[in-house]
Amino acid sequence: MVQINFALKEVNCKIVFYGPGMSGKTTNLEVVHQKAPEENKGDLTSISTDGDRTLFFDFMPLDLGKIAGMQTKFQLYTVPGQVYYNSTRKLVLQGVDGVIFVAESDPDKMAENIESYENLIENLIEYGKDLQDLPHVIQYNKRDLPNALPVEEIDRQLNRFGVPTFEAVAKTGEGVFPTLKTLAGMVLESINKSDRGGGRGPSRSPRPQTTNSAPSPEVAPQGRGASAKAPKTSGRGPAPAPRQARPVAAPRGKAPVAKQAPRKGGQPRQGPRVAVQANAPVKKEGKGFLVAFLVLLMAAVAGVAYLVMQQQGF
Amino acid sequence: MTSDQRLRQSRLVFYEDDISKIDKILSEFLRLSGAKCALLVDKEGHLVTKQGEVKTLNMDTISALVAGSFAATKEMAKLLGEEHFSALFHQGERDNIQLSLVGDRTLLTILFDDRTTVGMVRLYANEACKKLVNIFDESERRMKEEGPRELDLGKGYGNSAKDKLDNLFQ
Repeated sequence: MVQINFALKEVNCKIVFYGPGMSGKTTNLEVVHQKAPEENKGDLTSISTDGDRTLFFDFMPLDLGKIAGMQTKFQLYTVPGQVYYNSTRKLVLQGVDGVIFVAESDPDKMAENIESYENLIENLIEYGKDLQDLPHVIQYNKRDLPNALPVEEIDRQLNRFGVPTFEAVAKTGEGVFPTLKTLAGMVLESINKSDRGGGRGPSRSPRPQTTNSAPSPEVAPQGRGASAKAPKTSGRGPAPAPRQARPVAAPRGKAPVAKQAPRKGGQPRQGPRVAVQANAPVKKEGKGFLVAFLVLLMAAVAGVAYLVMQQQGF
Repeated sequence: MTSDQRLRQSRLVFYEDDISKIDKILSEFLRLSGAKCALLVDKEGHLVTKQGEVKTLNMDTISALVAGSFAATKEMAKLLGEEHFSALFHQGERDNIQLSLVGDRTLLTILFDDRTTVGMVRLYANEACKKLVNIFDESERRMKEEGPRELDLGKGYGNSAKDKLDNLFQ
């Protein structure tokens, strides 16, 4: 939900990168963080597993500066893409003002694209929102795959509201900024229009939905604990040399471990890290969700505590 | 009601007179409790206002993490048959955090160290939350009586935004 603070002269908007698992949502945000000017960006904070899969969210503030006297800021989030993490995806979607849907170009992942898009629609309905009315764009990522589906084909199956689409190769940065720039413009336009009592955004012709693939099977971690890390924060300026960070919070009975493992895919994340291992077996329902949320909570709290202590020089 | 109208009505808007009242309550709370700083964060992770020793803190990230952690515990509470946990406490070696739900939309986030005790912080936080709820209720009542104020973001907000975006994402 757009927050307008006339006292602080601020407009705050929330943008979420959504999509199936491993489609490139976090990569998009990392590229934005790397390429955005220093004076406009804040730290990139990631709550992820040991395998660098987003566990709760990645977050980065982006300050557009003063627009008509109002400091305009975007909070950029990514969600975990795996089907298993639907509950946490819903939490992150709360108050969203714009969505960038990052889709895979791999033909084998088309079913996941569709499932994730429908999941987005369902989750928004729970907040009383209609995706058709919410500013959103679709990014067709991984266009460098040799067997990438033609854009027209993905568009036909996925783009049911005729929203703007972008081709991208997020790992090289291609297409990332144009996607975000367009969506940011749409979000600001929607604030502007609704304040003038205007109507909806540009009309979009709904397309008939073609489903030609079976739903993907649910992912259930079998016997593998959910390992959570305290959020990693990338500061401004050059990345500091990795140091053995002092462990902060730890779940009962487990010793925290500091990790400096490079990210899979060869691109190391910036900034010091503290890992909090929580090897609790996770089930799908009831008790399993409770454990999963406890892990998320510990990770989020560890992040806040780490930030506070880091910035006070401890 | 169109979805635009619904969004406009549910949007969080803070005006100067509301914020100055909130700031007074937070300052008084800090004086009485001995806490280091107090942040008011909305449930979506946006900072509303702050008082106290805040210069060294990364406001944006803390606000996002606080909102995320509260949202996670709300789901946990539902699994246990509660609507939500209205207060959360995190204890560190030097600094501690107390979160209190204020009304339905914001979180009072208090950072304190060994200059005070958790009991003092909770005692005065409860008082502060009641006063903050009164401000929000009064603001809502005023909006219902007078109707929503026309939001004037300034001339040419949309066009200025396009120029800024072009400069930022070149």
